[in-house]
Amino acid sequence: MRPIKTFAVVLSIAALAATAAAAQEASLTVAFAGVKAHKGKMMGVLFDSQAAYDGKGEAVRAFAVAADGATIEERLPGLKPGRYAIRVFHDLDGDGKMGLNPFGIPTEPFAFSNDAKGMMGPASWDAAAFEVKAGDNVQTIHID
Amino acid sequence: MDRRSFLNLGAAAGAGLAAAAWFDPDRVYAQATAPWTLGLADVEDDVAPHKLRRLHGRLPAGLEGALYRNGPAKFRRPGRSVGHWFDGDGMVRAWTLAGGEATLAARFVDTPKRRIETSAKACVMPGFGTKAAPGSQLEGPDDSNAANTSVIRVGDALWALWEGGSPAALDPVSLETKGFAVLRQDLKSMPFSAHPRREASGRLWNFGWWRDQVVVWRLSPQGALEDARIVKLPRASYIHDFTATDRHLIFVLQPWVQERMAMPFNSGFAWRPEQGTQVVVIDKADLDKRRVFELPPFFFFHLGDAWAEADGTIRFDACIDPDPSFAVTGAAKLLSGEASGGPAPRLALVTLGADGKARLEQTSDAAEFPRNDPRYAGLAGNMTVHTVIEPGRPLSRGIATRDWRGGKAQAFDFGLDHLVEEFVFAPRPGGSAAFDGWLVGTTLNLKAKASELHVFDARRVADGPVCSLRAEAALPVSFHGNFVRG
Ligand SMILES: [Fe+2]
Repeated sequence: MRPIKTFAVVLSIAALAATAAAAQEASLTVAFAGVKAHKGKMMGVLFDSQAAYDGKGEAVRAFAVAADGATIEERLPGLKPGRYAIRVFHDLDGDGKMGLNPFGIPTEPFAFSNDAKGMMGPASWDAAAFEVKAGDNVQTIHID
Repeated sequence: MDRRSFLNLGAAAGAGLAAAAWFDPDRVYAQATAPWTLGLADVEDDVAPHKLRRLHGRLPAGLEGALYRNGPAKFRRPGRSVGHWFDGDGMVRAWTLAGGEATLAARFVDTPKRRIETSAKACVMPGFGTKAAPGSQLEGPDDSNAANTSVIRVGDALWALWEGGSPAALDPVSLETKGFAVLRQDLKSMPFSAHPRREASGRLWNFGWWRDQVVVWRLSPQGALEDARIVKLPRASYIHDFTATDRHLIFVLQPWVQERMAMPFNSGFAWRPEQGTQVVVIDKADLDKRRVFELPPFFFFHLGDAWAEADGTIRFDACIDPDPSFAVTGAAKLLSGEASGGPAPRLALVTLGADGKARLEQTSDAAEFPRNDPRYAGLAGNMTVHTVIEPGRPLSRGIATRDWRGGKAQAFDFGLDHLVEEFVFAPRPGGSAAFDGWLVGTTLNLKAKASELHVFDARRVADGPVCSLRAEAALPVSFHGNFVRG
């Protein structure tokens, strides 16, 4: 076996792998529609598994985007293709926290990816999960 | 096919219960025959303003204003109907009296619940006695707000009230829905019950129920929020109504206790008569100051006004039932034309002694919907008007007044051709004595198939209405309302 040739093969496999990784990279633009109060921030969290979405794991990303513009969106680059879900609330008063009334009911608007609706609690992972494919993706969420 | 395999087949088809109900001959017969079922019929459209036809008498000079009333008026949709009388869509009715003429206009409150159910063509939202069905969405209490229980004037708006969510604000002239009122941003979606208590000064007190807590609301006569505080109670009792003296708020904690959060709402409660009834008296000036009294077990929806006497004794009247069967099954069965046949609620007087002992005196009068003279709210010397229930038939057939100081009780019977709704007091301009004025209320005339407005001299109820007028529409029986002076 010639050592040089072996080295070259290893290199070319590495190069191939790198190309494949680049092709498999995805970005997600989260756009907000229906916004009534153009103030404060949209506070979003992106999850890539049901466990994480249900609070039993780490989120993939968290983001805050100012809600005062005509278009309100956040681009999340560098994601792996797969299934994701988003929870978001509109932080109207800008305190960084989801406002709750004294009986624990949200006082600030909230929403989920797919515009999924909750039933006495957050929307389920099954209802909120969507596919992110290689390349650019857009997820529009209605809120307020 | 034997009985067992028939039942299995029914279960397999997922329709065992529904089929049983459909083929119950008593039920079908009752649906087809009972005239009172007109009181729970559906209304499809808003009622355009129209002049009432005078049946007899004249509207008294000085009686100017509007009787606003609210009650459920849409119960059934092709895909599914509500499971309980309390879960129909609220329709606000304005009976306006001006210049000797009367008009009626009525409009549904435009709630998220009504929108979702209209587009689903099915009653899918959960409620007091209705389970959620596929297609329902419940992200906050106001998603299932039926806005169907009462209506009050607050500042420049009308508020259609329900007990589990926010007031729905309406335009007082067009009755158009403006949206849910937010009293303060951090108190958004807090419950605001359908039974606020207005002091003679115009200041408004109300509560919102949440398990073993209430939020106590205080609004200025103009409708501005003055204060909202959370008060913890000894138990998670069902509280539909509270009462007040000029200095106290009074919560009656019946032994119908919430043991779990469930759908429908009423299925989470259990009847625990062994726990008795507790009465919590709270100082308006210091909500942390309280006294607790013990009474025998009873169920109730509605209390009359309360007053304190010189020695510290507090009294109030109440319409009490032996148990919560009407809230659980009776009011659900009405929708399918079944009369539960249970006992009617009875008028009772509660006395809370200065010595800490409480007493319940029950009368034999079948009574609901107690109301009082708002100028004497919380004060001694007030009087009570209530409806009179026909034993054995659901809903009321007459009204009666009661003077707890020993005055003669008076009553008027409209007869079985009428379903009688709550009557409220409207003062005579320039008058000041309790019940110096008129009682204004409505009935559904089952023979004429039309809703009617009736006015009584409040001190001469036995003489019958001084004036009766008839609308073009037959509106189902409503719950509560208020007279707003013009
Ligand atoms: Fe009520």
